[in-house]
Amino acid sequence: MPATDKTNLFPHRHLLGIEHLSPDDILSLLDLAEDYAELTRAGKRPDQTLAGKTVVNLFFENSTRTQSSFEIAAKRLGADVVNMAVASSSVKKGETLIDTAVTLNAMRPDALVIRHSSSGGVKLLSRKVDCAVINAGDGTHEHPTQALLDVLTMRRNKGRIEDLNVVICGDIAHSRVARSTTLAIRKLRGYVRFAAPSTLIPPDTSGLGVSLVTSDFEEALKGADVVMMLRLQLERMDGAYVPSRREYFHFYGLTRDRLTLAKPDALVMHPGPMNRGIEIESAIADGPQSVITEQVEMGVAVREAVLHKLAGR
Amino acid sequence: MSKTLIRNARILDPASDTDDIGDLLIDGGKIEAVGTNFQAANSTDILDADGLCVAPGLIDLHVKTGEPGEEHRETLSTASRAAVAGGITSMAIMPNANHVIDDVARVEFIARRGALEGKNRIYPVGALTRGLEGDAMAELGLMQEAGALYCSNGETSLADAGTMKRILSYAKDHNVTVSVRPNDPALSGSGVMNAGPLAAKMGLSGIPNEAELIPAQRDTWLANSIGARLLFDQVSTPQVLAHLSQSRERGSELDVHCTVAAHTLFFDEEEIGDYRTHCKVSPPFQTRSERDFLRQCAEKGQISAVVSGHDPQPAEEKRLPFQEASFGAVGLETLLPAMVTMATDGAFSLLQAIRLVTSGPADLFDLPQGRLMAGAPADIVLFDAQKTWKCRSDDLISRSTNSPFDGHDLKGKVIKTMVAGQWVFEAN
Repeated sequence: MPATDKTNLFPHRHLLGIEHLSPDDILSLLDLAEDYAELTRAGKRPDQTLAGKTVVNLFFENSTRTQSSFEIAAKRLGADVVNMAVASSSVKKGETLIDTAVTLNAMRPDALVIRHSSSGGVKLLSRKVDCAVINAGDGTHEHPTQALLDVLTMRRNKGRIEDLNVVICGDIAHSRVARSTTLAIRKLRGYVRFAAPSTLIPPDTSGLGVSLVTSDFEEALKGADVVMMLRLQLERMDGAYVPSRREYFHFYGLTRDRLTLAKPDALVMHPGPMNRGIEIESAIADGPQSVITEQVEMGVAVREAVLHKLAGR
Repeated sequence: MSKTLIRNARILDPASDTDDIGDLLIDGGKIEAVGTNFQAANSTDILDADGLCVAPGLIDLHVKTGEPGEEHRETLSTASRAAVAGGITSMAIMPNANHVIDDVARVEFIARRGALEGKNRIYPVGALTRGLEGDAMAELGLMQEAGALYCSNGETSLADAGTMKRILSYAKDHNVTVSVRPNDPALSGSGVMNAGPLAAKMGLSGIPNEAELIPAQRDTWLANSIGARLLFDQVSTPQVLAHLSQSRERGSELDVHCTVAAHTLFFDEEEIGDYRTHCKVSPPFQTRSERDFLRQCAEKGQISAVVSGHDPQPAEEKRLPFQEASFGAVGLETLLPAMVTMATDGAFSLLQAIRLVTSGPADLFDLPQGRLMAGAPADIVLFDAQKTWKCRSDDLISRSTNSPFDGHDLKGKVIKTMVAGQWVFEAN
């Protein structure tokens, strides 16, 4: 069992994003998540703090990875987990989002884990329910548990977030991961650089506190502590935002040569799933600097911590 | 390689505003010195120009051939021979061929064939969109690395403003110059000549000026807000030139430029006369007063470059009723004479005429040629600015001979052309 149980200290009912969290909120989640990670590594089961609680996974957008991660986290803590198959649910029959929320709320779950394709969709649902709501990704807005697992992975490998230079490269304009992770890094006083073709950078990044925005990946890589590559959806590489996969890899693919521009001990991260040979060379994805599988491991730990704090009250 | 000394020439170098009698010394493919009273060593070839003009070789930013795929129109080889006969030492090959030049392999094909077959310097121009279909962005960055001088969308503007915006953003990342001919096909429709009273009288459908103005306004705004580099190809209307100069006055950072075709500056719509299809070009010849406005813009430096717009069309596509004949005119061999003739007629100075086809286009793309200065490539043209000659289609070297200049008296006869220190053309 984690040494310090700060459940009652967490001052939020929902986890809708990183934006409204204080640095202490983030650190308390990271500390608890790290405890859970160590327990799991030691082969131990945590206390069943969510025994008798019901967690509903409500994914309006398919995501096998994130949904499984939440399900495993909830089950490790003893919760009953219901995966709402949205494709076959009443949503497809024309029920409005709010009606779905009201209906689910009447079933009295303890936590709703929601992914929705519209920015702000999860927040809209959270207003209509009495239980805790955890945002598992809303449109191109936020993906807070991904941000927490990213900074936890960085902290475990670098010992800190403060003063780290993190390069985020790829489809930043359409990425909730880039937004949430940037917010988390900035709150913990690290630095973020964006590298992408101009077509994949939001029109105005001035509100995000980014220290460098460039279409020159190699410039961004110089002296970086962490290189986080984002997935580029294949349909965006077919002439709409980028001419071709070949051209994208030529200018933005993370190769061994490019990685030497970063610090020698720079971490390589990717939120997955990867397009090998497009945004990242296989030798790098599987290489000694890659912490991509550790990110997945920390994903479960972070979700245990979040569920503990929000569903366990 | 021995040295070449050209003596006693009228040196025309717009880059240094020089129009003076002097000498030019060439060594090893480069210009070694420009000055007066040079002493020649024994091994030097001496050419007494006897007052003929020496200018930088011309740079033509818009040339079409039929290669690859339609070699009966023109090949890189035949175009190159026609070009040097016209004093053109560098030329850019447009991507709208039968096989669109829209990927690295085709850019390399043009560059390699150009180096192999060409008598002058041949630059490929990449397509802006795949297949020039206006939808998917072509590999702009890779084509630029493979040697594309710029990227063009051929004969029309992009229909989709969002696509144009993304392309300008992306192109800016790679310092690719985006070129479009401002032409909204929905507005130019089935028009075959300038819209107006003459078209109405002739019973031909007209192309209205707004077909050029509206997409030009849109794209100027987009390029300016993005900070991208945009080149309007073959502008023909006063409205677009006025819009550009107004936009320039508003925003000093505007990186939007334009070219005009020599035949557009030279002729007006009356030239069509009795349905002469060699005068069917796109954009169409304008009214006399519009043409005169364009000439004034050329004089004031509001046009970056004049191009030949060389577009070879075989006889079977021109010997048709006007409405059915193809668009296009050859122009490689008449670019310099057209400019000299207009200068002689007082449209602008001879130095300005030369500027528009040498240092003007060179400056757009930071090319080292296009100027007569020590260290520059020895690409030069020796011509007689006084001599009047009659242009006859049958005498043209180009494989296609669809010239609107056929039968016209022109000033400015090319005597010799040099590329990289080698004489590549000598008039009979």
